[in-house]
Amino acid sequence: MEMLYWIEESAIALWVGESLWGYPFLLSLHVVGLAVIVGLTLMLDLRLLGFFEALSAQSFLPLMKFAWAGFAVNAVSGLLLFTSQASYFATHAPFLLKIGLIFVGAVTAGIIQHNLRNFQTKNARALAMVSLVAWGGAIVNGRLIAYF
Amino acid sequence: MEALAQSLEGGAINVWVTSSAWLWPLLEILHFFGLSLLLGALLVIDLRMIGFFRSIDIRATHALLPWVFVGFALNLVTGILFIFGDPLRYAVHAGFQLKMALILIAGVNALWYAWKIHPKMQNWAADEIPPRLAKGVASVSLVVWTGVLLLGRLIPYVSSG
Repeated sequence: MEMLYWIEESAIALWVGESLWGYPFLLSLHVVGLAVIVGLTLMLDLRLLGFFEALSAQSFLPLMKFAWAGFAVNAVSGLLLFTSQASYFATHAPFLLKIGLIFVGAVTAGIIQHNLRNFQTKNARALAMVSLVAWGGAIVNGRLIAYF
Repeated sequence: MEALAQSLEGGAINVWVTSSAWLWPLLEILHFFGLSLLLGALLVIDLRMIGFFRSIDIRATHALLPWVFVGFALNLVTGILFIFGDPLRYAVHAGFQLKMALILIAGVNALWYAWKIHPKMQNWAADEIPPRLAKGVASVSLVVWTGVLLLGRLIPYVSSG
């Protein structure tokens, strides 16, 4: 807890929380990153579930590098947003759930992409469902942070 | 515009949207799902049309178009409910007006695509490098929709008027 208060009082946290544009700017960046990650992941999940089979599932491999770039943008913007209210977020259920679901989503994405590279189709549908639930759940809890 | 907004205030839909504590957050969650669908599908279509990821069959990216429309329809409905829920705020909001102007540009751009590019796509090869016009339309699409997302998220923070 000590450390969380220290984070909140750091110069960067104060800039995020108190400057006119810091917080809104980071939130806007965060939603673009979200759309890139979840959007592309969602498309691959839908493909694995049997939609638009004209497009090969392997086609998505290079695109997923783009999704990971979005992930990096959101890790940085998310971390900066976190600093401004570190002690609050660290004990806030929707936030913790969101982070847990992102972890599940990222691990699942890694497995799905590993399988695609090896032309391994085992459990593809089940993994796509886990991915959909994890990323969808991350969005739900992310939005609920503002309400609960 | 303000008179119109005034007439919505207190109407049946306005009352319904604002009457429960959970409906607004639910609409926001659906709006986020919609934007993910819309941008996700467009990223595949547009990045390929700009000329990236040439290993992807450009003709097959087309199969993702229905998902752009699903995302757009979801956000049109939830977006209209936001307006009904808080008409006076949106009517005079500069960020919101700019966002709507960008969506209008995206719409015209999409029509341009449907009219000039889509009919020619049947003759393209799987690894086609699209003509300059197609690259331009795809670039405009990505830039404009990114702008829509940025502005949309700024709406709660930009003052009205």
